[in-house]
Amino acid sequence: MPDLAGIKAEAKRLLREGIVEVVLAFKASDSPLHPQPAFFRSEDEIDQLIYNGLCANNLARYLTRLPKQTKLAVVARGCETRSVNALIVEAQKKREDLFLIGVPCEGIIDWRKIIGHAGENSQLEAENEDQVRVRAGDSIFSLARADLLHESCRRCVHRNPISADIVIGEPVQEQGPENQEDFVNGFRAKTLEERYRYFQQEAERCIRCYACREACPMCYCAECFVDHIAPRWTESGATPAGTQGWHIVRAFHQAGRCTSCGACERACPMDIKMTWMTEKLNRDMREKYNFECGMDAQTKPPFATVTLDDKQRFTAGGSH
Amino acid sequence: MNHLLNKQSLPELLQAWRADYDVYLPQRLEGFSHFMLLGDQKIGLPDRPHNTRVPPKALFLPMTEALVKYTRFGAYKDAELKVNPRIVFAVRPCDAQAVQLLDSVFEQERYSDPYWVERVDQTITIGLGCASGCANGFCTTVGYGPFSKDGLDALLTDLGDRYLVGTLTKAGEALFEKLDLADQATAAEAFEIQHQAHESMPIAFETENLKEKLQQNFSSTYWEQISESCLGCGVCTFLCPTCFCFDLVDETQRRERVRNWDSCMFRIYSQEASGHNPRPTRVERTRQRLSHKYVYWLDQIGQIGCTGCGRCVSYCPVGLDIRAMLRQAQSLPFEVNHAS
Repeated sequence: MPDLAGIKAEAKRLLREGIVEVVLAFKASDSPLHPQPAFFRSEDEIDQLIYNGLCANNLARYLTRLPKQTKLAVVARGCETRSVNALIVEAQKKREDLFLIGVPCEGIIDWRKIIGHAGENSQLEAENEDQVRVRAGDSIFSLARADLLHESCRRCVHRNPISADIVIGEPVQEQGPENQEDFVNGFRAKTLEERYRYFQQEAERCIRCYACREACPMCYCAECFVDHIAPRWTESGATPAGTQGWHIVRAFHQAGRCTSCGACERACPMDIKMTWMTEKLNRDMREKYNFECGMDAQTKPPFATVTLDDKQRFTAGGSH
Repeated sequence: MNHLLNKQSLPELLQAWRADYDVYLPQRLEGFSHFMLLGDQKIGLPDRPHNTRVPPKALFLPMTEALVKYTRFGAYKDAELKVNPRIVFAVRPCDAQAVQLLDSVFEQERYSDPYWVERVDQTITIGLGCASGCANGFCTTVGYGPFSKDGLDALLTDLGDRYLVGTLTKAGEALFEKLDLADQATAAEAFEIQHQAHESMPIAFETENLKEKLQQNFSSTYWEQISESCLGCGVCTFLCPTCFCFDLVDETQRRERVRNWDSCMFRIYSQEASGHNPRPTRVERTRQRLSHKYVYWLDQIGQIGCTGCGRCVSYCPVGLDIRAMLRQAQSLPFEVNHAS
C-alpha cells in the first residue's frame, strides 16, 4: 500500500522549508478512475494530493513544461525516476533543482479493465500488491491486481525508485525479466509479414491526436517532425502512410531514451499497442550496448555519443 | 408513429435493409465499439446504448478525405464523391444532436460543403435512446437529453425483449411501416422510461450566465489553472462529436489536396506563416476550446455546442474534466449586462 500520509508530510515539508517551489503529484478529479496530474505550490493545497494505483501518467513529462530553473519536487515511481535521469542526461533539468520523492510502485491499474469488470460507475476502494477492491453502486468487486495491470507494468523490472532523494514506503519486490523477454521474443518469433500485419492493424486505428507524444517525458522537442511544414516528413492525415510513418519514426526517436514506462500506450484513446516497438529497441540497447536508459544521471544513450574508437564508421561506405 | 420491433427480428431487418442501403451500426472491436458497415456476418443485438470511441461525425466528416486531384502540369479535378444511400443505426441521441448542430456549420445559406451535404442527404439516422445514464455524460445539463429526437429519423426505446420505435420522419417511417403499431399502454411505458432516464441524469454544472462569465473573464488566471496539466494532445477534440475543425494539405506524392481533421489544441493549428501564433500556449488554446462550445456557438446559433456525450471526460489522458472546469467557471465574478 502506498503511504499517502508519508508522501503528503514530505511534500508539505519541502514547501514549508522552501526547498522547492512546486510539488508535482496527483489530485482527485470528478471521475474517480482518472486522477489528475497537479502542481502544488502551497502547504494548504497538499491536502488535495492523492496517490493510488490509478495514477496513470509519467509525471516526468511536466519537467520540461515549467521554467527550467524551477525548484521542483516530483512524486516519482521507478519509471518516473528513470525518465527524470534521462532528462538530466539530455540537459533538460539540473539534478540540484529537483527533489525526488520516491514511491515504490506495485504497478499501474488500467481503468479500462476495471470498467470491463465492474462497469462505468466504478470507484477504487482499496488496493494492495495482490488485490484491488472496487465499488460500483452497491456492489463490491475484489479483483486480482495482476489482472488489472497495464501491460508495461506487468513487464516492469524497476518498480522501485532509482536515485530518489527520499523513498516513502517499503520497497517492493522487483519482477524478473521474464515477462519483458517473453514479450519481445513473442514478436521476434513472428515472421516479417506477420509483424507488419500486426503493425498495420494497430496503426490503422490511429487518429493522429498525438496523445502518445504529449504523454511521453522524452517528447519535448519544440517542434515535432510531424509538425514540420518544409520539408514535410510524413503525411499529416490518418492515412496508412501517415499513421505508419508517425509510429515508426516516433519509436525510433526513442532508441536509448525510452524507459518502458508505457505512458504512450496508456494515453492512447484508440487502445493502440505501440510499446512492442520501443521494447524491442530497449532490448537492442541492452544487448548491443549494455545500456539501460535512466539508470543514472550521467551516462549518455549510445546513439548520442561519438568516440574515436567507435567500431563502425558513421559514414556510408565506411568499414562494417 | 410508434411501432413495435421484436429484438429477435432485428438482425433480419438490418439484413433486409442492405438490399437498398449501406447499413452502419456500432460493432465491437477488441476493446471498444466503432460504427462499421454491416456485411453478411451474423450480428448480435446492439449493446446497451454506449459511446462508440469515435463519434459518428466521422461518417459525415471523415478523418481524412481527398477533395482535389491534380497533375504535375497544373490540371486538377474534384475528387469523386459517391455516397450510397445509407442507414446509421443505434446512434446515441447526443451524437445525432451533434450532427444536426454541425449542419449549421457545413450547410449555410451562402456557403455549403457539398461533401457534408451529400452525406447527410443520403443518410437515415436511427437513434437508440439511453435508458440508463452514463457515468461521464451530461446531456441534460447542456439542454439536450437521453431521448432527444433532433437529427433522428426514428428513435428506439428499449423495452426488454422489444423496442418501441418512434418514427420521426417520412424516411424513418418507411423503414418500419410494416411493423405492428404500438398500443397506447406500451407507448406510455416507453414514455415513462424516457422520462425516468431524463430525470436520472444529474446536473453537472449550471449553465445560467455561464457564457457571460467565460466572456468577461477572458483574461482571468482561471484559464491557467484549468490548463496547467493539459498535455496539448487532440483527444478531447478528435473524439468530440461537435468538433469539426479541419486542415487542408497537399499530399504532393499522391497529387491530392486532402482535408484532415485538425484540433485547436495543437500549437500548429494557429501558427501563422509569419511565425506569430495568436494562441501561443495551452492556456489560450484551452480557452478557445471551451469558449467555442460555451460562448461562440451560443452567439452564432443560440445553442451550446456541446451535447454532453462525455467522451472528452472519459478519454482525457490526464483526467481533465470539462464538467469540473465549467463548475469552477461558475464561481468567476461577472456583471449582468442590462443593456441586452
